[in-house]
Amino acid sequence: MSNNQKRIGKEFQECTQTPPKGCTVKLVDESNLLKWEIIMDGPEGSIYEGGHFKLLLTLPNDYPFKPPVLNFQTKVYHPNITNDEKGSMCLGMLRADEWKPPNKIINVLKMARGLLEAPNPDDAVETSIAEQYKNDRKGFEKTAKDWTKKYASGK
Amino acid sequence: MAAFAQDDDELARMQELSNKWESDATGPLVSERLASSAITTEYANADPVYQAKTASLPQKYAQYRTCRGDGHCGWRAVAFGYFETLMRIGDSQKFREEETRLKSMCNILNAAGHQEHLYEDFADDTIELLRETASASDGGAALLQTFNDSNRSMSIITYLKLLTSAWIQKHPDLYQPFINQPVQSYCRSHIEPSVCEIEHVGMNALVDVLVKPAGIAVEILYLDRTPGDEVNTYRFDPVDHHNEPLPAPPTLRLLYRPGHYDILYKLEDLPQQAALPFNPAPQNVFVALNHTSTETTHHKIAFELDNIEIPGMSFYPGPNMGWSNFPQYDFSPVSVPYPHSSSRSLPTPSYAPVPVAHAPEYYTTSVTVPPPSVAPVTLPHHPAPHAPIDRVGPFRPSIWEYETNFAPAAPHLPLCQTAIFRNSHYNTAHFNNPDFEPEQWQPDSEYGHTERPRKKSSHS
Repeated sequence: MSNNQKRIGKEFQECTQTPPKGCTVKLVDESNLLKWEIIMDGPEGSIYEGGHFKLLLTLPNDYPFKPPVLNFQTKVYHPNITNDEKGSMCLGMLRADEWKPPNKIINVLKMARGLLEAPNPDDAVETSIAEQYKNDRKGFEKTAKDWTKKYASGK
Repeated sequence: MAAFAQDDDELARMQELSNKWESDATGPLVSERLASSAITTEYANADPVYQAKTASLPQKYAQYRTCRGDGHCGWRAVAFGYFETLMRIGDSQKFREEETRLKSMCNILNAAGHQEHLYEDFADDTIELLRETASASDGGAALLQTFNDSNRSMSIITYLKLLTSAWIQKHPDLYQPFINQPVQSYCRSHIEPSVCEIEHVGMNALVDVLVKPAGIAVEILYLDRTPGDEVNTYRFDPVDHHNEPLPAPPTLRLLYRPGHYDILYKLEDLPQQAALPFNPAPQNVFVALNHTSTETTHHKIAFELDNIEIPGMSFYPGPNMGWSNFPQYDFSPVSVPYPHSSSRSLPTPSYAPVPVAHAPEYYTTSVTVPPPSVAPVTLPHHPAPHAPIDRVGPFRPSIWEYETNFAPAAPHLPLCQTAIFRNSHYNTAHFNNPDFEPEQWQPDSEYGHTERPRKKSSHS
């Protein structure tokens, strides 16, 4: 356990001192290293530009042997993020069966931001949004921009 | 279209469920050593091939440890076996060599693209355990405890996975023929992920990188439904610098049942000391591992049974075995009557003169000698052999009954403490025989009804 706290501490330090582009990281509660709050700016040039998305990153007790859980607390129209109150993003390295203990949180955040820049419709959780992304890109972009303005423009 | 979407949702839901699925396997991550006759029992009602194979198993492989079937069992079994075998070799120079060797492995880890700051925690944990094991004198109790700490256990497994992955990538010529994808992507998807069972290629590589270079052989016994009376055995032998097999290497044995690994032991693999009847120091391994369970059970018995007959207690030499509350009972001769000594009991006095040091021998051998009445005279001269695994028949003759001259044995405490526990059979007897166990350890159901009323009536 102490070991795990040490590692998480190191990772937190890394994420606050040299945060990934467009991210600010803090603890939800200073006494709990397992819950991180991340404000992620929509990548420039993407349909999410101008949005500020609040994410909750939860580390399991047996981190790093289980993956962190990433939730978008700000509503976002995206094929890889569940369109519910949880806003879960669970793909690639975040999957329990693909997670590797040497993976790091900073890379999780980079991946999440990368997905805002370029959604991955082939590995979607919201299949209807993925369909729209593939077949009706304009309609998808419009809704995504509207949602960004509506839900993610405030701080 | 709507239906399609629904199906998709359904699939997504199933996928999610499947992602969340976790093995509900229970039990210790690595168990204490158990008599392997339990495996035979487990398969008693199974397919005849399994029955035959498991029936012959305990004859060669006396004991085993289970590993929890949580998807890490193969990794964990090898890891534990590696440390335990090093401990059995007991050569501090060897430990230093292994530490140096593992440290040098950072070269191949780096070469495979692993970054040191990402794996150093796992490597440190492994080296630390190596050092702890080198200096341990507790017979493996701490090692077992470490492996049952899920974080430390996983940390070491993670290190070994990275090592295995790096090794495969360093020697693609050895492993590529068995993989139908590039080694690198194989390692990423089948070796490195946190949740992935060891496959045969991984097992080969792990043995190649970790176990064989330590001069330890690995034997895997495949218990499957292929025809035959015995399990199929596959051996990995360590070689020297000239590629010659090392003579008589210590061997780590695994029992493989499709999808699952456990650890097996031949008698010769058990700590030497446990096999030598009168050498007190060495039992450490055996004693430490089994002590706790025995102790608690006896406490329980003592509490629940007052001071009536306690099976096995006739050989109980003194209070200094962790049964600390034992002496508080009144052992006066009148307290324990022998209502049917004629039919099943030995005469109580026959035990009294026996030197306490011999008590454990009685204990062990008595199970193999059907007529209880013979026991007191002949048994002390038997060297205590390892208890036969297959213990049937009159295991519970009345010699187990509490005898009234028990108390005088107390002065011999130190002797007896080592003597009883020296006896691996004590525990073997306990764990071995499924028929015996409930009677020994569940006094409420077995003795509560029969013995207690008898005693009461005799008192009244």
